[in-house]
Amino acid sequence: MRTRKITALLLSATILSTLGLTGCGSGSTGSQTTGGTASEGAKTDTQAQAQTASGGATELTFWNLSTRQNAIEPIVAEFNQANPDIHVTVSFFNTDGIKDACKVAASSNTLPSMWFNWGGSLGGFYVENGLTYDLTEYAQANAWENIYSAAALELCTLHGQLSGYPTSFNALDMYYRKDIFEKYGIAVPATFEEFEAACATLKENGITPISTAGLKGWHVMRFVELLIEHYAGAELHDELNNMTASWDNEAVVKALAKYQEFCDKGYFPPGFITADPDDTRMAMVMGTTAMDVQGPWYDGQIIQDGVDVNLFGTFPFPSGGSNRISAFAEMVQFNKNLSEAELAAAMKFMDFYYNDEHVETYSEYFNLPLPKNGAEAPAGQPNVMDILNTANTNGTFTITDQAFPTEVADALFDAQDALANNQTTPEEAAKSIQTAIEAYKNK
Amino acid sequence: MNKENKKEKVDLGAWLFLVPAGVIYLSVIIVPVFYSLYISLFSWNGIGDMKFVGLGNYGNLFANDPVFFIALKNNLIWIFLTLLVTMTVALGLALILNMQFRGRTFFRGFFYFPCVIAPIAVAIIWRWIYNPTVGFVNEFFKILGINYVQSWISDPKVSLYAVFAASLWQAVGQPMILFLAGLQSVSVDILEAAVIDGAGPVKKFFYITVPSMKETFVIVIATLVVAAMKVFDVVQGLTAGGPNNATQMMSTYMYSQTFQYNNVGRGTAIACVMVVMMMVVIVPYVSFTAKD
Repeated sequence: MRTRKITALLLSATILSTLGLTGCGSGSTGSQTTGGTASEGAKTDTQAQAQTASGGATELTFWNLSTRQNAIEPIVAEFNQANPDIHVTVSFFNTDGIKDACKVAASSNTLPSMWFNWGGSLGGFYVENGLTYDLTEYAQANAWENIYSAAALELCTLHGQLSGYPTSFNALDMYYRKDIFEKYGIAVPATFEEFEAACATLKENGITPISTAGLKGWHVMRFVELLIEHYAGAELHDELNNMTASWDNEAVVKALAKYQEFCDKGYFPPGFITADPDDTRMAMVMGTTAMDVQGPWYDGQIIQDGVDVNLFGTFPFPSGGSNRISAFAEMVQFNKNLSEAELAAAMKFMDFYYNDEHVETYSEYFNLPLPKNGAEAPAGQPNVMDILNTANTNGTFTITDQAFPTEVADALFDAQDALANNQTTPEEAAKSIQTAIEAYKNK
Repeated sequence: MNKENKKEKVDLGAWLFLVPAGVIYLSVIIVPVFYSLYISLFSWNGIGDMKFVGLGNYGNLFANDPVFFIALKNNLIWIFLTLLVTMTVALGLALILNMQFRGRTFFRGFFYFPCVIAPIAVAIIWRWIYNPTVGFVNEFFKILGINYVQSWISDPKVSLYAVFAASLWQAVGQPMILFLAGLQSVSVDILEAAVIDGAGPVKKFFYITVPSMKETFVIVIATLVVAAMKVFDVVQGLTAGGPNNATQMMSTYMYSQTFQYNNVGRGTAIACVMVVMMMVVIVPYVSFTAKD
């Protein structure tokens, strides 16, 4: 009997100590590509602070997009080998997956040391809640104003603090298949009417004019916001994005009506409302669609696909006025809990990641040119400088899903779905968006 | 005296063996459940200060939130379809696969196989099956000469049922296996006696097989109801609750409220409502069937 008690005690102690050692604090030693939800997020350290592992290496965790995995993995491996006192562990997520994963991590105080993020409301959430390292002093001490472009630094400054290491400045333009346009005698549209005529010609010839996918709403939003820019004009559009003007107005109704008209005319792929945005490029490459609203990274992705990038050109959507296009910044944010030594290690890694050699070797995996003063245009990516020149010449507006808080953006996405399926009218849709704005403000 | 000492030692040993499981159960299930209930009484973004609102989150859900009612309705439809369709198909497959025929083992594995695929992979597979342009379903109609094109998951009228069909493909395996196991407990002697007495296949099924499998039905129904209540992965992967909330479920809505909008209090309130709904259905059913 005594033996049974001792056995029970030993077994209980073993199991409990095993639980304690392998409990939810373990980190990963590799990287994995994940799906679209935070529940499938990669294995990482649950504590974002760097830890000293055996051998004294400073451990850093880094979350980034799976579209860059082929570049980041070898760069990280090279860095770890060259810097035995620092060890970076990277994990990958898709576009929506990283948004969810970071939110989940923020709620459980398990953000990594560094993570990819966008500007606007997406990155601003972490700043508002005191989760990011304020790089303002670091930037001043290291003369970042001489290194990075003013526009990029401005877009990375959220709620009064420089909240991330600028990694790209992006603008969205209308990519189009030059060969398809040529085949059907379509000139690059300079007015909205010419754009509509181009869509009609493409549709007549069996080509779906615009490749888009609405699974999470933001890709369709890229086109809808261009219609809003067209009907509202620059000033009102900015006020709409700042939520200082009501969305229940004639310009918005006209824009939504035009979007619904495009849906009814079949100018978007069948079933686009629940299609995955990662698949829009497939239709463009196959030539079943002719246009897609995308940013400078598209050239790199086309090259990764092994397709001739010279088949593609870009033009600014003819919204009127100066034909502004939407823009946003990308950055890497740092965990507020990093010590000075850990921050130094993280910056060393980021500078290594973005050095000239890696940019040249893995150019299709970077959004080029980098947001640095005097950055060179990437070779072999002809549309990148066109887009950035358009942004500089025509001007930009903040992309809507970064101007809006998430729940307001979702109200817009729901309206997009409802209009596409004729479940609502443009008037009701505009009202529903304004209702969401007011509910958010009264929260 | 010796018998009493022996009983005492056995109990202590038993309790000690239960400690590890108890620690896991408390830390992973009991404490989080009560903590969730606690959070649901607050307005909280998951990071900042918590503001006590009492039953305000519940009030807002039932009085001011049309999307919540859409999700609730969709979940009830899903539960109904699960009990009607999934259980029927699983039972049907089990009955067929319980017969003796060549290749029976292969087909048992064949129909169980989708069950082991990750739900998100199921969503990806079925997204392509439902693709309106190149998907299997529409192409199959074309081959048959049927002039019917449907956008399936993009059409709010059919999207919920399309997503359910994808889920059915995956979900039918597990109850099928449970029913197969239950069928082994049906007495062959009683079935033979029924045949001798002139009972046909239908009467044998309803008067002998089904009553004999009562415990199996309890387990299958309880697990199916719980699974239907908390369905998430395949919906999130296929439609993310769209188009325009047509496939929004309580779990996906809870997820978006909690992790996308940072309305943690409201999200946990939805979770608590889900638990209550499950208990309301399962507890009386299990109690009623356990009486016998």
